[in-house]
Amino acid sequence: MAGEYREYNYVAADTIDVSELEPLDPETKQIMKSEFSTGIKLTLFYYVFILSIPILNWYAGEFMFSRMWGGMTYSWFFTSIVAMAMAFVIALIHTTLYEKRLKNQAEQSPAPADGRRIG
Amino acid sequence: MSTFLEPKFLLTLILMGTIVYITYLTKRSATASDYFVGGRSFGWFTNGSAIGGDYLSAATFLGIAGLTYQLGYDGAYYAFCFSIGLTLLAIFVAGPLRRFGAYTVADFLAYRFHSRRARLAAVAVVLAISGFYAAPQLLGAAQILSMFFGTSYEFGIIFTCSVMIFYVGIGGMKGTTLNQALELWIRLGAFLLMVGAAIWGGLHYQDILASINEFKGTITGTAGFTSDGKDIPFDGSVWTGTGNYFPSFWQTISMTIGLSLGTIGLPHILLRFYTNPSAKAARRSALMAIGIASAFFLFAVYLGVVGRSIFLTGEADPAVMKDLIAGGNNMVVPSTAQALGGEWLLGLVIAGAFAAVFSNLSGLFIASSGALAHDLYATFFRKNITEKERVIAGKLSIIVLGVLYGVLGLMVKEASIGHLVALAFTVAASTFTPIFILGIWWRGMTEKGAIAGLVLGLVSSMYMIFFKTTLPEFLQFNVPGIITVPIGFLSVYIVSKLDRKVPSDVNEFMKQVHSKESEAA
Repeated sequence: MAGEYREYNYVAADTIDVSELEPLDPETKQIMKSEFSTGIKLTLFYYVFILSIPILNWYAGEFMFSRMWGGMTYSWFFTSIVAMAMAFVIALIHTTLYEKRLKNQAEQSPAPADGRRIG
Repeated sequence: MSTFLEPKFLLTLILMGTIVYITYLTKRSATASDYFVGGRSFGWFTNGSAIGGDYLSAATFLGIAGLTYQLGYDGAYYAFCFSIGLTLLAIFVAGPLRRFGAYTVADFLAYRFHSRRARLAAVAVVLAISGFYAAPQLLGAAQILSMFFGTSYEFGIIFTCSVMIFYVGIGGMKGTTLNQALELWIRLGAFLLMVGAAIWGGLHYQDILASINEFKGTITGTAGFTSDGKDIPFDGSVWTGTGNYFPSFWQTISMTIGLSLGTIGLPHILLRFYTNPSAKAARRSALMAIGIASAFFLFAVYLGVVGRSIFLTGEADPAVMKDLIAGGNNMVVPSTAQALGGEWLLGLVIAGAFAAVFSNLSGLFIASSGALAHDLYATFFRKNITEKERVIAGKLSIIVLGVLYGVLGLMVKEASIGHLVALAFTVAASTFTPIFILGIWWRGMTEKGAIAGLVLGLVSSMYMIFFKTTLPEFLQFNVPGIITVPIGFLSVYIVSKLDRKVPSDVNEFMKQVHSKESEAA
């Protein structure tokens, strides 16, 4: 089970200058790096798709609003059909990669991580 | 036929009865965990359905089809922007947030920095976003009651708030989640039946789009319902491209940024990830919700096109034509349902619309209740509060919220549901989105940085929404995300860089929200 707080009240913590902060432990660092790297690649790809629609609509309107299927224009097709599928596909790829990574990590070291207790 | 045997009454009563039954079954909330996060017992299917129920509000069920009906491509673009956010939430926030595992959105900031000030700032933002979001949901409910049951707008607001006080106050998160999951499937069923009926009736997407785009002239059968007694003229060309609602390229981009990043900051959606038993289940819940939402948006746009097609032919029942004119764009889905499938389909859609309103409002009520009872009362006024008193405080806060949201609902009688929700998304994108993304992925975020981000994000987005006309013309955005979201992110970053004082245990926090999970073994 994921981390669970035992108490509601929190205790005061000291602060330190960010430059004096200890480096993260290698395992957490690795997990964060690999998760963020996957996430940011998928997000960049997704945003290229997302932003290409309004950019093309405004700067290549003749093509985007020309008919491709009956009364459906390219723009309409990408905005109301392809984009809906794309939202799910990106999330599916992310979840699949995450679960694969989780499985690999579990095979390498099955010990559960410690939760941070507050209070 | 007796009034109560009419499909719209019957199906609405069945929905109400089911809500009462589920609420009764789940009324026992012994601990704060039961009340605020449903004992963290919901698997990915139930929670995915509930997230879908929470996300797909009246704005989606009624508003997106309505905007497409009214604006054409610009309405479809609204759906596109709404569809992006859950995916980003699944990628960056869902799993880490569940590993964090507290009760409320404000808990995240309070524990991240060990700070009461941060908690207080978060409470203010939760209440602001929830109020912005709740008002249009109440507007939708009151309009449905008024149009289809003949009640006054004011009665609709009071009735809906009363149902919410009962539903959330008694059932807590457990009852709310199960009701939300059920209500989602009622809505999806209604949409599927409408889509099936439209296709069965030969209203094929590409063909009706062509007929709408080519239509020019007046719409027959509308004269009797217009104030000037003349048939409504319509030019299909205004429906074909962007620029009717978004007058410039930058308005479009601003809307895209505001809506796509807003979901990450919606308190009632963030809260749902605390109710999963694990981070893995949280990600799967998000995936399921995205699948459902994508299908919903696809159907909503298509049904907006179907509604416009029915309206243009002028061959629908006069009652339908009247509703399409008098009800405005918010009532297109019920009117289209009546045209496609008669009274029974209309009845199901009305029940579905109530389900949408109740589902979304209950999420907002529970998120705001957590902010008032758990974050404000129990933290600042009664530190040694018992578990039982915490639950009672949660229930009492629901009554306070019912009154507060009721007043807000009365103030937005003439507004567009879809647009008001878009503004709530912008406030969320400018406040909580930077905090959650940076708080989860950047150790350098400081308490002062987070508070600055919340305050400046909230103030700038509120100002640009409410006092738009005081700004120079180039800054007058319909949805001001392009200005306010960077303000939110930059203020967190710049103030954190200047402050440099991070909590000494920030590494432990990072380890907790990113650590391996025991269930993977």
